[in-house]
Order: sequence, then C-alpha cells, then structure tokens
Amino acid sequence: MTARPLYWLVAREVLRVLKLWTQTIAAPVLSAFLFILVFGLSLGSRIHEIGGVPYDQFIVPGLITMAMAQAAYNNNASSLFQARFDRYINDILAAPLRNWEVNLGMSLGGAVRALVIGLALFALAVPVTGVGVAEPLILVVAVTLSLVLFSALGIVVGIFAETFDHHMFVNNLVILPLSFLGGVFYSVTSLPSPWEEISHANPLFYIVSAIRHGFLGTSDAPIGLSLGVIAVLALGAVGWSSWLFATGRRLKA
Amino acid sequence: MRTNGDTPAAPALRLRGLTKRYDDGLLALDGFDLTIPAGTFFGLLGPNGAGKTTLISAVCNLIRVTSGEIEVFGLPHQQAAARRMVGLAEQDVNLDRFLDVEETLVYHGGYYGMSRARARSRAREMMEVFDLRAKAGTRAPKLSGGMRRRLLLARALMHEPPLVILDEPTAGVDFELRMELWRYIRRLHEGGTTILLTTHYLEEAEALCEEIGLIRSGRLIARDSADALRSAYGAASLTDVYVKAMEG
Repeated sequence: MTARPLYWLVAREVLRVLKLWTQTIAAPVLSAFLFILVFGLSLGSRIHEIGGVPYDQFIVPGLITMAMAQAAYNNNASSLFQARFDRYINDILAAPLRNWEVNLGMSLGGAVRALVIGLALFALAVPVTGVGVAEPLILVVAVTLSLVLFSALGIVVGIFAETFDHHMFVNNLVILPLSFLGGVFYSVTSLPSPWEEISHANPLFYIVSAIRHGFLGTSDAPIGLSLGVIAVLALGAVGWSSWLFATGRRLKA
Repeated sequence: MRTNGDTPAAPALRLRGLTKRYDDGLLALDGFDLTIPAGTFFGLLGPNGAGKTTLISAVCNLIRVTSGEIEVFGLPHQQAAARRMVGLAEQDVNLDRFLDVEETLVYHGGYYGMSRARARSRAREMMEVFDLRAKAGTRAPKLSGGMRRRLLLARALMHEPPLVILDEPTAGVDFELRMELWRYIRRLHEGGTTILLTTHYLEEAEALCEEIGLIRSGRLIARDSADALRSAYGAASLTDVYVKAMEG
C-alpha cells in the first residue's frame, strides 16, 4: 500500500518520457550519434590517438555523458515546471505522498530517460568505434552519481523557474558550454597553462573524466578525486531539492 | 462516519485558529475556526479574496499554513491517512496535459494507493457516471470545457473520499451540465459523503447545502441553515443575507 503512490508517480514520469519519445529519446540520441560519426570519423583519421586511445573511441564517453546530463536535467526541469505552470502538481501535492517520495518520483523520470539514451548511444557507438567498458564498477558509480546530480539540479530549476526560458538558460549557458570545455573532444592535459588549470575548476571536467575512466580505463584526473567531486555536488543538489520539498518553498504559496 | 470505540464520530473537518499570511504580507485567513460534522453538506460563501480558496488549499496541503490546526476525521491533515480521505475539485481546471481521460483517473487512483485493477475498474465506473467513456483516450487539453469540468469532478471522487471539497465546481458550465452536476453531488451526499462547497451562485448554495458559512476578510462571520440565516438577518432571501453580511 505505502509503495504504490511512489510507483505510480515514477510510472507517470516514465510514461511522459515515452509519449514524447521523439523529443525525449530519439532527438538527443541522433544528435549525439552524429557527433560521434562526424567528429570521430572525420577527425579520427587526422588525430590518431589521445593518451593511447583512438580518437573516435576517446570522444564517445564525453558525448554519452553530455547527452545523459542534459536529458536528466531537461526532463526534470521541464516536467516539474509544466506541472507547476498548469497546476496539475496540486493533484500530487494533495495525494498521500511524502515529500521525499514526490522528490524521488519526479527525479527518476529524468534518470530513466538519461539511462535509455546512454544505453542507446553505447549500442550505436560499439559497432562504429569499437569502444568498450574497461572498468564497469567505476562506470556504474560515476553514471549513478552524475544522474543523481543532474536529476536533482533539474528538480531545483523546475521549482525555481518562472518561465520556460529559465530552464533552457541553465542548459544552454551552463551545462552545454561546461560540457564542451570539460574535455569531451580533447584531453585538458593538452591545453597550455593556465587553461589546463582553469579546466580543473569546471565540475563537468570531473564528470567527463570519471565516466571516461569507466569506459576507457584512463582519464585526465585521478578517479578518486573525480568521483569525490561528483559525490559532493550530487549531495549538495539532492540536499537543496529535498529542502525545497520539505519546506514547500516555491512549490506552495 | 468514522468512530473510535464508543466516542462520537470525529467531525469531517475541524479548523482551529487557522491563519495564513502570504509572503507578500496579505492576511488571507485570520484565526479561522470551523467544524464541519461528518455527513454534512456545507456551503462556504464569500466574495473573491475572502479566503475560501486559501482555506481549501490549506486543508489539501497546497499552501504553507502560518499557524493553526487542521484535522480531517480527527487526524492531522498532513498525515497520509487524512489525505486519502479528501477529494478535491479545484476552481481552475488543472489536468495533467500528458494523460488521457482514463489515465488521468487511473494515475490519480494510484497516487492515492489504489491497486492497478481497482483503479482501472473505478475509472471505468467514473467514466460511465460522468459520460466520459467516449473520450477515454483523449488528452485533457483536447476536451471541451464541460468535459474537463466533469473529469475534474470524476478525479476528485476517484479514490472514494468521505470528504469532498468542491471549489466552484459549476463555474462557467452551461445550465444542463450544472443541473447534471447538482444531481450527482446530491446523490453523493445522500450516500453519506461530507461535502464542502464554495460557490458564487447563491441559489446553488441554497438548493444544495444544509448549512452555509459566510466568510469575509479571512473570518467566518456567520454559519447556519439558509432559513436560519434569513431569520437572523431579517432578510427575505439569501441574496439579501449575503449583501447585509458583506456590508457589515
């Protein structure tokens, strides 16, 4: 009895993803796969290896990371914003769901969407690039922490957003640029000083590094440091979203 | 309706000292006290901004209460068991744009702890009652205004709550649908459901409600049957009562 409301909320979020599959799944998979094809195959013939890894394989983890991060964030920010805007969130807030259940239920929609995209991209990238998984456990931990971080961030922005543009602003002017500058297409060790050092202040650098370590067994930052940074950021984002749900701030007048 | 041993049934709703001050400083409810016995059909009348919707939102956990207590059938309103006993049809149409009619009902049942089989069966029942069967696969944004209003009411009743709160349920609907909704609401009440109704239609309150509360500036200024209110205010009609009460 007690688990049912949470199950239904998760089911609703997943149903929304599936009903909008052309936008939520197909479009991000296609665009990331085009990056793999165009950059990997065209530049792969000119840049043979980075750190001993063929270039077409080198860019796959970063592109998967970028697609998953954006999916988890966008899904939750837009779903929650629409629920607030149309006020059908009242049906959920009035229901016998605990605050943490509403937070978790709405977060899992983005996580599921991101996982589906990640798995689809990996399945497409394997035959094209031959990329594999060198450290499965590290990959699972890194992906899990990253999804927690971006799902919670989406929830926070979905609660604060006043217009649809607000959540797009965070995606287009924060997540996307930081992903590109986090070493998706290059190794930051190849950057001249001080750009290499500055890159270490970019949180997306650690996320790309950790997931790249899981796929390729090598990365620009020590794996312990990368996972530690993601864990701290994820904890902060979850703490923030939990506080918003617990207090009702911004959600309830 | 619910009893605890030999003690009398707890009231369906009890508000004690309920105060709500919004962040902009507006005092919407000011130490509001109200008890609605189980099984009553209670109408709440007042002008826009009097505090009716704030009161309903407080009961349904949709706003942050500044102070005071709210009990639903003797339970604090924030408890899951209390929330399961309340059904709400809001004034504004707030349907999930991604769900069709049947899904709207089934998922609502799920949020309230119903099993999938029970939720589906109850949803079919509600669609029959509210003449929504032909629109089962239609998403809410594509429904007509009347259909959306029916769906809102069906959703509120989906989990069979013993307390149903209807915030201006017939606002903006045509005469035929209003009569139809009245008939259904009456049947619901005859079955033992407690109903709290807010409306701007005084004839609606008089036709349906056993007791009427008059609310002004966040305070309950009178409550009684329509006849008793007319007598107390020396008025010929409920409209005259309303005018005198709101002027006072």
